[in-house]
Amino acid sequence: MYEIWLTLNILYELGLQYLPVVIGTALLWLVLMAVAAARGRAGWGAALKPAIAVAVVVTAITFFITPGMTQSSFANMGYWVDWGNLLLYAAAFGAVGGALAWPLAAMMRRA
Amino acid sequence: MKDLPKSPPELPAIDPERRRLLLGASALPLAAGAGLSLAPTRARAALKTSARIVIAGSGLAGVAAANRLARELDGAKITIVDRKEIHNYQPGYTLVATGVWPVEKVSDRNADLIPPGVEWVREMVAEFDAEKNAVVTDGGRRIEYDFLIVATGLHMDFGLIEGMDVAAIGRNGLASVYPSPQAAQATWQAMDTFRQKGGKALMTLPATPLKCAGAPLKMTFMVVDRLRQAGTRDQSQVSFHSALDNIFSVPRINQEVLERWKKLDVPVHFLSKLVAVDIGARRATFASPEGERTQHDYDFIHVVPPMRAPDSVKNSPLSWKQGPFAAGGWLEVDKETLRHRRFPNVFGIGDINGTGKGKTAATVKKSTPLVVQNLIDVIAGREPSQRFDGYTSCPLLVREGAALLIEFDYENRLIPSLPAIDPLQDSYFAWVMKIRLLKPAYMAVAKGRV
Repeated sequence: MYEIWLTLNILYELGLQYLPVVIGTALLWLVLMAVAAARGRAGWGAALKPAIAVAVVVTAITFFITPGMTQSSFANMGYWVDWGNLLLYAAAFGAVGGALAWPLAAMMRRA
Repeated sequence: MKDLPKSPPELPAIDPERRRLLLGASALPLAAGAGLSLAPTRARAALKTSARIVIAGSGLAGVAAANRLARELDGAKITIVDRKEIHNYQPGYTLVATGVWPVEKVSDRNADLIPPGVEWVREMVAEFDAEKNAVVTDGGRRIEYDFLIVATGLHMDFGLIEGMDVAAIGRNGLASVYPSPQAAQATWQAMDTFRQKGGKALMTLPATPLKCAGAPLKMTFMVVDRLRQAGTRDQSQVSFHSALDNIFSVPRINQEVLERWKKLDVPVHFLSKLVAVDIGARRATFASPEGERTQHDYDFIHVVPPMRAPDSVKNSPLSWKQGPFAAGGWLEVDKETLRHRRFPNVFGIGDINGTGKGKTAATVKKSTPLVVQNLIDVIAGREPSQRFDGYTSCPLLVREGAALLIEFDYENRLIPSLPAIDPLQDSYFAWVMKIRLLKPAYMAVAKGRV
C-alpha cells in the first residue's frame, strides 16, 4: 500500500510541476468527448481500433525518443528493469494519446 | 511538561516497510497509465495535546516533521526556528554541478512548505538549554518547549582547509558541490572550463562524516565522463585523495567503485587529507596521518569540506560527550529510536544525528515518520514504538545517462527496495529516478505525506 501511496504522491507532485499541461490535456479530452457526444451517432465502438492504433504509435514514438529526452541513450539500458520502466512510461503516454484519439475517431466514424 | 492526555486515542502503527521509494517509483509509469488521481492528505485521528514542540531547523527534516505533527496532533503549539527563506533541494546539487540541471531547479520557498498553524520564528537557534527545556535564538529570544526536535543540519568546516575561500569557487579550477546552489553552479562553470582543455583534476574526501557521502564519488565519475565527452580525457589525469582508508563506508560499494575507477584510470590515494589550497597558484597540499605533507598542482580541484555539528549543538548538553561522534559534536541519539539518550523529550532527524549512517534525504524520508510517531508515543505516555534501521540510499551517477541504485542500512547490508533491482548494475532507470522522480518524492516528504 505504501508503494501505491508513494507513487500517487510522486504523480501528484509531477502534476503540480506540469499543471498547465495536465489541465490543458484533461480539458482537451473533456471537450473532445463532449463534442463527440453532442454531435450524436458517435461510433464509440468502431473508434476503439483506430484509438488503439494511435496509442500504439504514440507508445512506440515515446519509447524511442524518451532516452534522448532524458539526457541518456539506449546504450545506458542496463537490464530488464530499465527496459520495463521505459516501456511502461511509453505506454502511459500511449494511453493518453489513445484517449485523445478515441473521441476524434468516434466523430469520424458516426454510426 | 504540559498536561498530557489521560486516555490517548489509539494510534496506528507506522508501516515498517517505509523504505520503498524505489518500488513506488518503479510503479510510476503503470500508475500514470492507469490514470490514477490523488487526494493530497489522508484522514488520521489526531491526538489532543497542549504540548509545546519546538523544531530547530527548516530543512527537509524540519518541515516534514512540522507538517506531520501539525496534522497528527490537535492543540499542540508547534514552533519552527530557522531563518532560511529559501528551501534548497540539496540532492539536486550534484546535477547542477555537473551540468545536468539548471540551478533554478533546486530552490523553493520555505513559506510554501511550512504548514499553517505552525509558528515560524525567523531566527537561528544559538543555544540549546536542554536542562531547562528551552532554546535561545540569535535574536535573544528564549523559547521554552515540552518536546524538541533537533533538525539543524550540519556545519561545513571549510575553515579547516588553509587558504580555502568559498567565494572563489568557480574560478581557477576551484570547485565544491556542497555549500550552496550558487557554489554548485560555479562548480559546473569550473568543470566546463576544465573539460575544454583537460589537465590534472584532484578529487578529495575528508575523514569526517559527510552529508551525501556519495557526492564526491558522483563528482569523480562525472568529471571523467565530461572529459570523455569533450574528447580531452586522454590528455587528462583524474585522481582521488581520501583522508580515510576507503572511499565509501559500505564495503561492497567501496570495492565496486574502486574497480570501476581502476578501469577508468582514476588512481586513489588513501590516508591523504586535503589541508591547504593555494587558489591562485592552483596548488593543493595533502597530509598523511603522520603529518607528512605533499603538494600537487592541479587544473581542477573538487574540495569536500570536513563536516561537524553546528556550534549551537556541538557546544550544548545535547552533543555526544564521548565516543566516535564526540569530536564532531553530533547529537547524541539512540540510533534506533532517534530519541536523545539523556534528554528523553528530545529527538533528532537528519544530518545532525550522531549515528553511523544516514546524512541523506532518503534517511530523512524514512526516519521522519518514525520520529514523529515515537514523539507522539512519548506525548501519549508510551515508550517509542518505532525502530530505525539506518536506511539510506544513493543514486550514484556513473556517467551522464546512467546511475547505480544503492540502498543500505546501519549494518552495511545492501537492501534494494525491489529484489529485481541490482545495486551494482548501471541503470537508465536509476538515472531517470535521479533527474525526474526524486524531487517530486522529496516534495511529498517535505509536505509530510510520505
